[in-house]
Amino acid sequence: MTMLTSPSQEIADLIARCAIRDRSAFRQLYERTSAKLFGVTLRILKDRAEAEEAIQEVYVKIWQRADRFVAGPTSPISWLVAVARNHCLDILRARRPASDDLDVALEIPDGNPSPERVAQNNQERAAIDRCLATLEPDRAEAVRGAYLDGYSYEELASRYGVPLNTMRTWLRRSLMKLKDCLTV
Amino acid sequence: MSEHDDIGGDFEGRNALVAEYVLGLLSAAEHERIGRLIENDPGLQAERDFWLNRFSALDDEYTESPVPPHLLARIEARAFGDTVQSGRRASLWNSLALWRGIAAGALAVAVVAVAINLSQPRFDADQMAIQLVAALQAQEGSGVEFLAVYDQSQGEVRITSLKGAAVPNKDFELWYINENQPAVSMGVIPVDQRLEIALDPATQANIGPGTVLAVTLEQTGGSPTGVAQGPIVAVGPAVAI
Repeated sequence: MTMLTSPSQEIADLIARCAIRDRSAFRQLYERTSAKLFGVTLRILKDRAEAEEAIQEVYVKIWQRADRFVAGPTSPISWLVAVARNHCLDILRARRPASDDLDVALEIPDGNPSPERVAQNNQERAAIDRCLATLEPDRAEAVRGAYLDGYSYEELASRYGVPLNTMRTWLRRSLMKLKDCLTV
Repeated sequence: MSEHDDIGGDFEGRNALVAEYVLGLLSAAEHERIGRLIENDPGLQAERDFWLNRFSALDDEYTESPVPPHLLARIEARAFGDTVQSGRRASLWNSLALWRGIAAGALAVAVVAVAINLSQPRFDADQMAIQLVAALQAQEGSGVEFLAVYDQSQGEVRITSLKGAAVPNKDFELWYINENQPAVSMGVIPVDQRLEIALDPATQANIGPGTVLAVTLEQTGGSPTGVAQGPIVAVGPAVAI
């Protein structure tokens, strides 16, 4: 039986095969995705030796957690990037001084966000670009830096030369503005 | 159906928290606390997924960079080194990706199920217990398919939806039917989720190779009479694996 499968579907299938311990699938998945994920670890950790160590741990995690991947809400490559990104952020977070929580008493929302459908990737990209463009340029840059480079509030505050609390207020307002824009 | 979220200025901080979590901006302690809250709250999970999906559109900006070739062997040694002792069995059932991935005919399903069976590290007495698999194929264009696996040693049926969407104000209900006997309800089942249904001993005794499993579309909560009233949307026989 021959089927036309998208690259995304192929990666989803490879992840599913990893879940049933298919080692050749793991190798194929690695060949197809490791350069991308290595790019993630390099950019966030900013240290080649650490990134090399991290990429190993990331793929061990992917092998161990392949059965947790649920197709649908996230694209498979986004899922893989998230595993790599979160791993790097965990490393950075563990290293940071246990700063006072700025706002520990914060309440979590009751949360009834409207259900989201995943649109095509380029539409998503256009949406986030359009909405980031509604923010002041340096705030949009700060949001991007937080996501892509894993910058902490401390790092962002010093990059933009503002007090920590100001940075946090900035960013939170920006995130809410972003949400309004992305939800429309 | 969808109402406008009333996101006013007051909500600023509260609503930003999940976004801050996704961005990784919280301290280790906060990150862990919020992570736990999210795990236990579907609403917050949706909020997290919202941000994850939106931000992941930026992933293009990570430039590819080849990994030094010698690392693959190390990764494989670390990854495969510990696979023997880890309990694969339970977690396989959590893999919607796997089951969706193999959403094909009954034969393909049975073949994979057998393969999983063979991949069990040991062949102990438990494994000799009856295991049945039924691929419930869509009927009359319903577009609804399920995979059911009955494991006698566990006394439960595990059912996973492979295809199809929930129907507003209706529920899917699972039945078993033995030849010349009326259908017996096994309860209402969800779409987009895996469900384990514990069976009482009487039901266990009634299920064997050849028992037919069927899913009907019933009013919310299932048929009130204990007799199927709605159309059959998926059906398939149980076969031993």
